[in-house]
Parts: sequence; structure tokens; C-alpha cells
Amino acid sequence: MLPSFSIPVRNIPLVLRCIAFCLLALSLIAIRPSARADDSEKLQWFEKKIRPALIEHCQDCHAVDSEASGGLLLDSRDGWQAGGDSGAAIVPGKPAESLLFKAMSYENPELQMPPDGKLPAEVIAAVRQWISDGAFDPRRGEGSLERKSGLPVDRAQEHWSYRPIRPLPEELASASDWIDRLIELQLREAEYEPLEKASERVLVRRLYFDLTGLPPTKEQLDAYLRSTASNRYDQLVDELLESPRFGEHFARKWMDVVRYADSITLRGFVLPEAWRYRDYLIEAFNADRPFDQMVIEQVAGDMLPREGVDLVQQQRQVIATGFLALGNTNLERQDKTQLDMDHIDEQLQVLGSAFLGQTIGCARCHDHKFDPIPTADYYALAGIFRSAEAMDHENVSKWIETPLPVSEEEESRRLVIKDQIAAAQKRLQTKTKLLAKMEQTANQSQIARGIVVDDIDAKLVGSWRASQSVTGYVGKSYLVAETGVATEPLQAIFSTKFKKAGEYEVRVAFTPNSNRTSKAKYQVQHSDGTSEVVVDQRKLARGESWFSLGKFQFDKGKENAVTLFASNNDGAVIADAVNWILYEKGKAVPSRKATSKEDLVELEGLRQEVKSLEAERDSLQSKLSPQQKYLTVRETGKVRNIPVHIRGDVHNLGGTVPRGFLTAVKPSLTESLSDESSGRLELARWLVADQNPLSARVYANRVWLWLMGRGLVSTPNNFGTTGQAPTHPELLDGLAMKLKQSAWSTKALVKSIVLSDAYQRQSSPAQRVDGGYAEMEEMDPQNSLYWRAARRRLGVEAMRDAMLSVSGEIAHKIGGSLIKSGTKADYNYKHEGARRAVYQPVFRNSLPELYEAFDFADTSVSIGERPRSTVATQGLVLMNHPWVVARAKKTAKRIMAESRGVESESEDQAPSELGDAERIRLLYLRCFGREPDPKESSLLLGFLQTDGTDTQELEKRWTQVVHSMFASLDFRYLE
Amino acid sequence: MNRQPTTMSRRRALGTSACGFGALAASAMLTGESLGAFEKVPTQPFHHLPKAKRIIFLFMQGGVSQVDSFDQKPLLQKRNGEALLFDDARQLAKTGRRTTHKLMDSPWKFRRYGETGKPVSDLFPATAEHVDDLCFLHGMHTEGVAHGPATLFLHCGASNFIRPSFGSWVFYGLGSENANLPGFVTIAPSVGNGGPRNYGSAFLPPQFQGTKIGSPGSKQLEIDSLTRDLPMAEQRTQVQLLQQMNAQQLRRRGGTEELDAAIKSMELAWRMQQVGPEVLNLSQESPATLHRYGIDDPTTKSYGEKCLLARRLAEAGVRFIQVNYGDNSANPAWDQHSNLPKHATHAQAVDRPIAGLLADLKERGLLEDTIVWWGGEFGRTPYAQNNGTGRDHNPGGFTVWLAGGGFRRGYSYGSTDEFGFQSIQGKVHMHDLHATLLHQMGLDHERLTFRHAGRDFRLTDVYGRVITDVIES
Repeated sequence: MLPSFSIPVRNIPLVLRCIAFCLLALSLIAIRPSARADDSEKLQWFEKKIRPALIEHCQDCHAVDSEASGGLLLDSRDGWQAGGDSGAAIVPGKPAESLLFKAMSYENPELQMPPDGKLPAEVIAAVRQWISDGAFDPRRGEGSLERKSGLPVDRAQEHWSYRPIRPLPEELASASDWIDRLIELQLREAEYEPLEKASERVLVRRLYFDLTGLPPTKEQLDAYLRSTASNRYDQLVDELLESPRFGEHFARKWMDVVRYADSITLRGFVLPEAWRYRDYLIEAFNADRPFDQMVIEQVAGDMLPREGVDLVQQQRQVIATGFLALGNTNLERQDKTQLDMDHIDEQLQVLGSAFLGQTIGCARCHDHKFDPIPTADYYALAGIFRSAEAMDHENVSKWIETPLPVSEEEESRRLVIKDQIAAAQKRLQTKTKLLAKMEQTANQSQIARGIVVDDIDAKLVGSWRASQSVTGYVGKSYLVAETGVATEPLQAIFSTKFKKAGEYEVRVAFTPNSNRTSKAKYQVQHSDGTSEVVVDQRKLARGESWFSLGKFQFDKGKENAVTLFASNNDGAVIADAVNWILYEKGKAVPSRKATSKEDLVELEGLRQEVKSLEAERDSLQSKLSPQQKYLTVRETGKVRNIPVHIRGDVHNLGGTVPRGFLTAVKPSLTESLSDESSGRLELARWLVADQNPLSARVYANRVWLWLMGRGLVSTPNNFGTTGQAPTHPELLDGLAMKLKQSAWSTKALVKSIVLSDAYQRQSSPAQRVDGGYAEMEEMDPQNSLYWRAARRRLGVEAMRDAMLSVSGEIAHKIGGSLIKSGTKADYNYKHEGARRAVYQPVFRNSLPELYEAFDFADTSVSIGERPRSTVATQGLVLMNHPWVVARAKKTAKRIMAESRGVESESEDQAPSELGDAERIRLLYLRCFGREPDPKESSLLLGFLQTDGTDTQELEKRWTQVVHSMFASLDFRYLE
Repeated sequence: MNRQPTTMSRRRALGTSACGFGALAASAMLTGESLGAFEKVPTQPFHHLPKAKRIIFLFMQGGVSQVDSFDQKPLLQKRNGEALLFDDARQLAKTGRRTTHKLMDSPWKFRRYGETGKPVSDLFPATAEHVDDLCFLHGMHTEGVAHGPATLFLHCGASNFIRPSFGSWVFYGLGSENANLPGFVTIAPSVGNGGPRNYGSAFLPPQFQGTKIGSPGSKQLEIDSLTRDLPMAEQRTQVQLLQQMNAQQLRRRGGTEELDAAIKSMELAWRMQQVGPEVLNLSQESPATLHRYGIDDPTTKSYGEKCLLARRLAEAGVRFIQVNYGDNSANPAWDQHSNLPKHATHAQAVDRPIAGLLADLKERGLLEDTIVWWGGEFGRTPYAQNNGTGRDHNPGGFTVWLAGGGFRRGYSYGSTDEFGFQSIQGKVHMHDLHATLLHQMGLDHERLTFRHAGRDFRLTDVYGRVITDVIES
């Protein structure tokens, strides 16, 4: 049985081989005896040659009872006449135009059948003959041509999630305990006695973790238990909702849903601006931004009007579109059209799961097999995203980063500066050109000074080649030795005979450039011996065309050389010319008239001018601080409807469909779409439109799941017909309705849930209770009736943050990127620091081991609910991971240092023992939010008993105690 | 709504569960006697009688050239340097056009080996001694022109979607033979070209993901967090304290299935911590064995150790063992675009270890029910890339070989065209290879499914067929 109904698109050849072509087994239908006589020859041909060939070579993959791939049915003549996704398989009389024959002939590498190799030539010839003769086919179809499909669009309302949200009955709508009343209804029906309210200590700890992801400190716990206010629980709820830790915690939950990550798997590319989207979420949840607004901002914040909107909000709404760009994209894909469509597919899948609870992606290749989502809907939605570019295409395509909006004043200031820079640049260009000309002239006169040996007169050892690529050389050209370490000696020797003894300045010429060596070795022969000077040939001081090696003594009549060694270099080595200038009384002796004084003055003036122009440009540039960017998509304004891609293949296009939304949701509101805009903003508004019953239900269900441990719909990302139906439909609708009525306030929704009795129950019965519990546990282990509270296991972030809290290390600061500067790829990234987990970069190739072991969300797809595994690697990580060990050590040190100052409570015991007991109590309060019972206390006291007072030994024991507490049940599983 | 009674086992008595780990004998742990975190019981019953119990996959990262190793093409020599039009997969994807390239002869000589007289190039003289035990698939083809997509496709049967790895499917389908060890292990996997996705469990439950041992370039073959720098006695003391603490907490709050499982997983971790290093420890192997795997030679030491470890893991009951020959670069080991002769360096590093593994498995009777799978993510072109001295990627035709596990011995199936470029006969798509390997493990690729996001997924998507011709009858 083939379970699959979504055919993912892959490389062309495979797709096509299944798309364009398909043969089905031939059902054994009796040949009609009435075949006319002139057909008898054709009939024989068919029976002898064609039918057996089809059965032998095609039946395995293309039988009615296997898979009618390509949408083509061939179990009757009607089948191939009607054709499949790519049209008729056979054009009678025209083999060359028949897809069936084309595929068999293996001419087109993208269309070859059967897939395991070309058929024998005689079979192919037989088929050609058969088609040429008119494709006589005696089979008359009895099989139905109709394909199975799921719920049609016009009957969408038969499925609960497409129906409008029903308001609560009057008597419930106004009741404060409406949630519990709806839950009770079913409990009573099942004759369940729900568990009692949990203890205050348990509740405080539960609430802290559920709303902030952190344990209560001992002080917070004390403060709550000391409070005498009758509504202290409500007060605590309000307090925690106002805590900045709330936004951090809830943002992380939403980040699972939107497959948040800071890098891409392939090549480990870091997305350096993704964190802004995360910070947007934290701010939005803390500010209790209406969730419908958050949806609109995430889907189309870049298209929202900016006039009259304050700058911070402008920035927020564009940053929110990072949602569209976080996919784990295969940027290397060479077929860029395919890549674009894959990216859109990813966007649609996440959008569908996150906001609508719909598996839209299933409709990419064919109508959804179960849900009322036709392929046309898919391409209507895809068309909306087609006008937004998500990547700039290259061999490896690049995601889009756009400068953040700045204030109008800043905008115009930047414009002015940019103009000024352009003007300065223009003047600079003119002057630089002029200067270059003058310098050339001046150089030529300078060359005449002293003795010059050009490269053409140099003696060469090894391989050099002449070049004129970089101008400014002496003579007709210069010489180049290639980069690298040569095995042969490589030298250029410039030598001259001196007519006059004395001090000469030795200068060398090379045409500086960035590809040059940084360590050209020159050896100067002079009357005192030889000297070596290493020269960086990449640059020369401005205005200079010579580099001075220094002044040396030379004897009359002697021949001395300057040798350039090029065999070991890190760039091209240039030999152009060498110049010796005689100095007398510290002054150069011009051997010929140099550049005129006037010219020199002018030259100097020009140099100054260029310098100051450069300074001006640079100072202007510095006023333009680099603009901050955000991760997003780029709307091109090229609005168009796109065709259906048959079987999802980008190169096999069907009819064009107008852009639109899901037709199953009525009213469709597609009239809001125009030819002027892509429709993304309209789509965003439609997602949260009053008439759309999905988004409010889906979000209300998520919040319920986050707090109650189980969704009313237990498939939070799938509200389609293959998902689970709600256990409490009225409750779900009530929550969705209240959400809308409270202007989509997440905090109001959270509050109404945590104030319910259902939330506040025990998760397991206190031991005195018996009887009914065992039966309920047997009958409803999933707790779908909410007869007990959820059994919470700390998520990996909460576990990590709790360890950091207990060790006293946690650093609470909101926002910002923690990616270490210079991180180009995410491989082997070392995660460090004491900021909350939500701020740690989510690197797809380098998740911390703790995350891997403790069921962190898959970062590549929308995750509605994380898996909850209990595996041995968790034990290994908890017991052996250096990070955990380090936290235990820190905590041990903290507790040892701290408890010395703590007053002992009872004075009639030995002080040292008292200290330890008090420390244990403190640890229990911090780690488990409760006091140890006497047995627990004595276990640890016994363990801590050592013979000596060796602090090292004691610290080790304490570390082991803390470490065991971290790994123990009460730390990881809430009551 | 789920209101049917479930078959929940009653909680085990506390005391035995909490502290019963101390007395287990090491030998019992090595073979894995108790059930637990690593499911020993198959998640799904066998679909049919299996021929093999485990797979050792020798992954040649980067793509070995078929015409220089096992797929001899005499025509290349005759027409060396001749320029012809090719369906260059890279250009075809970009431009849809064919490109002219010059044929390049193999620099290596082919010789005939074994009773079957199979020609093998001088790259693999040691492996060649085993040709009578190997089953060659010369008509392989796959998807993805670049390393990233093709590597993901090889491992997960998909390149653009997040899917479970082959090893995870096998582990999920069959469980582990040893409750103290994971059922899927990958030795020194590359972090590039899909990295962890290549041994990830995706939507399958996380316990089925591959456990990584060591990494490319590192000499240590270790499992992360398996051990800790603390004397065993102290670790034991600590674990005892923990379990006593847990017992107290459980008494206080009452137990649940999950809390029991958590305690049990702790015990298992503790056992794995003791069993694991033993399995990973190669030092007890005899000098003769070390020699056989080439561990006494610096050239072959690294891959030899990995192959020997693979045998030890196979013996200990691991279902899927991947032995990677690769590195962390974007252009991995076998990727000789411009310098084909470098193939020799890589062949030297793996040839003797592979031959050693085959001989060792055979001698121990393990080859009967162990599949050894050798291959890369794709092959290479028979023409020179850019008229240079290397070969480009080639997903259209390449060779893998299989040994043991009920595959035909000394058999060659399928072929590429006269130049060794495109697979033309006995074509085996990567999906087909997956289906066939699963088949030998007793799993029907069409029935090995997992429900996720509203539908049943499988390794081979809607494709794949079992190549019965390569199976021993």
C-alpha cells in the first residue's frame, strides 16, 4: 500500500520520468470478438508484440493496483487518449509526437522509460510500428478514470476546522469559570473525579517555569509564601506576565513554530541578522502586541504603510518579515527556478502550519489527497510570493538583507552626505588624473638624476617575464617573477661602475600592487661589503615612485651590484630599475637639471589638494555609519499570476491560476487582490480576518498546549482531516473567541488558562488518594480529559537556565546578537556565556550537545510540539558533560561560601553540622523549590561526611551532591 | 479521544529499579541483555525473512571515479583526448544545453582478478583480491550535481527536504541488537555537505538518530560525553547517590511511566559508559589483526582503525555502521576536479583496510549476515574537466559494490555507456539501492513508514524498487 500523497519535487529527470510517462498494466479484458477483418492484422500485432511488451517492461511500476503515477491511466484506450498530466501519451499515426515513444527511444535524457534501461531495439521498433499504424487498441475501458481524492472544496464545511467559530453560550460567556465548566462536563460524563489542587509550593514553581522558563529564587518563593493576600496567586500571575522573562520564554516557544535558526545547514552559512527577528518576538510578547498584528507583520510587515508610523515601529514591522527568510534553503541548487519554487514551498508550508494548521505543501504536486486544498489554491498562494525575491542568485545564491529604516531626518541627512561624497569623489578623480600625469613627467626628469640601470640591462637568473600591466614603470616595461617558492634560483642583478667615489643613495623601482610580494629581498654590494634590505612591493609612499634602500659608500672604478632575490615570495616579485644618486654634504647632486622649481611647487600643491580632497571624502564617509540590516525578502513589484506546475515540476507548466487564498475558507476575500500589488499584505490580513476561523483556533490551541501540556487539538500544526479533532470543541472555540474579543491578547489568554482549576491540579495524586486514580490513569493516560495537571518536563532551555540560575551565574539582559564576531560558518561553534538560552545562536550544524540530547526542536521545519524522548544519551550528557559539571562546581562553591554567613536556626546542635544542613536546605529550595525531608537531608549529610576538613575533598563532595541534584527527577520533572 | 484502556505495564518495584545496576557483569552488557533506551525489539515486525542483520557502509565522500576503479572502459584509451558533446549534468541544470568535453583515459592499469576475472584498476589491488565475493552495481545513478544535495540524497533519499537518514530508518525498523549500544553509529562523519542531517532522525523519534564516534581529522574515536575525567570509583559513588536521591523523590511524589523511564535511562547510560569504552578500545586486538587492517602503517592507520572499530561494533550488535572516509571541506576527499592522480592517495588510505575488513568478516562468519556497502554520493565524468587533469561530478552513472548479506557473489550488474558516463543498462537509482538494502534487512521499503505532518513518510518516497537480480537465490 502506498501511503504517500505528497510527491516532493526533485531533480528534473526523475520527476519527468514519472510525470510525463506512465504505463499501466493491462487488465485482462477479453478481446471483442467483433473486431473487423481489416483490424485483425493490427489486432495480432497488438496481442503479439505490444501487450506482452507492456506487461513485461511496465507492469511492475505501472499497474492500477500499484501506482498510477504521472496521472496517466493506460488500462484502456480511453486512458491513453485522455492522457496524463502532460497530455496524451500517444498520437496515433505519429510516433515522433507520442510521449510514449519519445520516452522509450531514450533520446531526451529527461524523459526516459523504463527507468532501468533502454528496451531492446525490436520492441521499440514494434511500438513505432504500432503507433504508425494508428495505435490499434482493442481494450475498452471498464476501470473508472476517476481518481480518488479527499474532501472537496464545496464540502469543506463538513470538517470542523473550516466552520465558523461558535460563540460561547450566554451563561458561559460571562462566567469566570467557563473553562472549568466545559472541562467538567466531560469529566462528569466519564465519571472522573479530577485530582485536587496542587500545593502552593508546587504551583509557584509551575507558574514560574510555565510563564518565564525559570525557577523561582528562594527569595521569590519566600515572598509568595509569606504573602497573606487572598489573591496572591492572581498577583503572581500578573507579576510574571509583566516580567521581561515572559517575552523571552514565549518567544522561544514561537521560534519552534517558525523554524528559527541563525545559520543554514549547507556550508554552515551564518545568518548574521536573524537575531533581530528573535528580538522582535521577545519585544512583541513582552508588549503583548495583538497576535493578529504580529501575524500581519511577520507575513507582510515590509508592505505595511510607513507614513505616520514611528520609526521604532517601522523597524519592528520590517524585521518581523525575517519569518519568511529563515528556511533551511539549499542555496547551492543550480536550477534557480526550481530553487525559487522550493523556497516558496517552504514559506507556504511554514505559513500553513504556523497560522492555519494546514498542510498546504501537500497540494504542490496534486490536489490534496485528504483536505479541501486543490493544487490551484497552492499556486494561487505561490503566485503571491513569486513577486518577492528571497535570494539573489549566484552559483551559491545569497539571502536578502536590507538596511533598516531610518528617520526621515536621518534619511535626508544621508542623502545630502551621499551627494557630497559623490561631488568630492568627482573632483578627486580629476585631480588624481592630473597629478598622475605630472608625476610621470617629474619622474622621468628624476630618473635622469644619478645612475639608472633599467631592467633590460639587468642580468637575470631563472625565469622572468616582461610586463606593462601596472603603469608607472621606468623604461619600456618591468620584469615579473611569479608567486610562490621556486626551486631554482631566481635573481635580477643590476650593476654599474662608479666614476666617482662617495656616498650614494640606492633606490629601486617596482610598480606597486596588491598582488606583489611583501618580502622582496635586495642585496646591495658596496665598499663596506653587502647589505640586505627586505621591501614590501605592495605599496609605496604616496607620490613616490622609488623606494630607498639607504645610503652606502662606493669606490671609484669598481663595479657593484644590487641583486633582487625572488625565489621565496608571497606574491609577484617585480624588478624594474635601480638608481644610485650621489650625495655631497648631505645633499643630492643632480647630474642633470631636474624638474623646474615652478613645476615642483605646482606638483606639491596638487599633492596637497589631492590629500585634502581624500580627507574630505573620508570624513564624509565616516558620517555615514554602516547601516544596520535585517533579514527579509524583497518585494519586486512584478505582480503576476503563475501557472500550475504539473506534478510540482517547474519545467512542466499547466494553466495559469489567479492569485488567491484557500478556497475552503469562506468568504474567500480574494476581491481584495488587485493587479497593483502582489497580495501578500492582503494575504496577511486574510489570515487573521474575522471570517477566517483557522488562525484564532490554531493560536489559542498553541497557548493552551504550552500551558496545559496537551493541545485540545493534539496535532497543533495540523487542523486538517488527517489531524486530530478537538477533544473539547466548545472550549477551543471559546478560547479562540475570547482571544479575538481581547484584541488578540496573548497575556489575557494565558491568564485565563492559568487561573483555571484545570491548570492548578496536581499532576499525580498525593499518596493517600487511591482507587479512582489508577483507573483514570489506565483509561486516559494521555489526560485528554484534563483530570490532572500536565506532567511537565523541563525543556532543554529551562533546564540549562535553571542550572545557571542555581549556580548564580545567569546574566539577565535583553536582546542583541551573541554570535562571536568573525564567525563565517557555524561548524564546531563553541557555545559560551551565561545569557539565557533563547539568546544563544541556533546553529543548525552546531547545536549544543545538551540541545541534541534533550529534544530541542528540529530547526528546519515548523514544530508544533517537541518530541519527548527518554534516552540514555541524556543520562550521559547529564553525568559527563563538562558544561554540566562546571555548573555543579560553581553551585557547590556558591553554596559553600554563602552558607557560612547564614544564621543557624537551632542552637543546640554542633555548628558544623548545622551549616551543612542549612546549605542542603538552601540547595533544595533553589533546585526543587521545596524543603528536604529528614531522610533526604540525612542521605546528603551522610554523603558529605568526610574524615578530614580538606576543603578540596569537601568541595568535591558538594559538587557531587549538586551534580546529582541536577540529574535527579525533581530538577527535571515538575510536580 | 483516547479512552480505551492502554496496555501500560505496572511500575516495577522501586528498590530493584533504582539501585540494581551495580552487579551487572561486563560480558552480559557487551552482548546487551536487557531492554531499555535502545529498543531491542523491532519497532515494526519484519516484513519478510531477513538475509542480513546489519550494514557496514564504507562512505567514499566526494565521489570515486568509476572508470578509474571498477568500471573499465577500453574505449577511453583508444579515443583519449577526443572532444565530444556530453549531457554535462551541471551545465544541463543551469542552461539546459549539452557541452563539449575531451575524453580522458584512466592513468591506472586494469588487471583481472579472481575466478570471475573481474578487471580492477591498480587503485584497489587489495580490494581486488575479494572480487569473487563482491556484487558490483555499475548502473548506479542518483540526484544532485553538487556535493551537498547528492550527499543528502544518498543518506536521506531527499536533498531538499528534511528527512530521516537511512541508518535511522533501519534502526527504527529493526531496533538495536544490543540494548546497551545505539543501533546506528557513524564513524568520523563530515560536518559539511549536510553535516548532522546525514545521520539525523528528522521526524523519527530522536532515539533513532545516529551516534557519532569521532570526527574527521581527529585521532580519537570517541562518543561525546561517554566518559568523564573522574576515577571510576568516584563516578560509581556519584551515580549511586543520584539513584538513591531519585528513589527518595519517587517515594515522595509517586511514580509515573516517564519517571521510571528516566531512572532506567540513567542506569543504561551508566552501563553504556562501561560497555562503550570496551567496544571502542582497539588495543586488545592482536598484532596480526592490526596488520590485516593496515593499522601498523601510517598510510592506512586512520581508516584501518575505523574499519576495525566497525567490525567490533558489528559484533556487538549495532545495526547500521557508517565508516566515513572524508573531511570537513566543501570539496571533500575524493573530489579530484583538477588532479585525478590524487585518487591514488585516497585509494592507498582505504584499500588495505577495506580488504582487511572483508577478510576479517569472512573469517569470523560475519559476512553471511552483514552487508558491506562501498560507494560515494556520485561518480565522476569520463572526460576531463575544463580540459584539465581532473574529472567532474557525475550523478548519471557510477559504481557501488556490495558484499555479504545475501547479495550475489562475484557478480556485476548493469553498465554505463561505452565511455562510462551515463548508466544505460541495469540502471539502479539511489532509491532502488535503498529499497534493495532494506529488503535484505527484512524490511519492505513501501511498508517501512512513519506518520508525520498528516501523512506516512518512507525512505524511498514514492519511488524505489527492489533489484532482485543482485540477490542470491
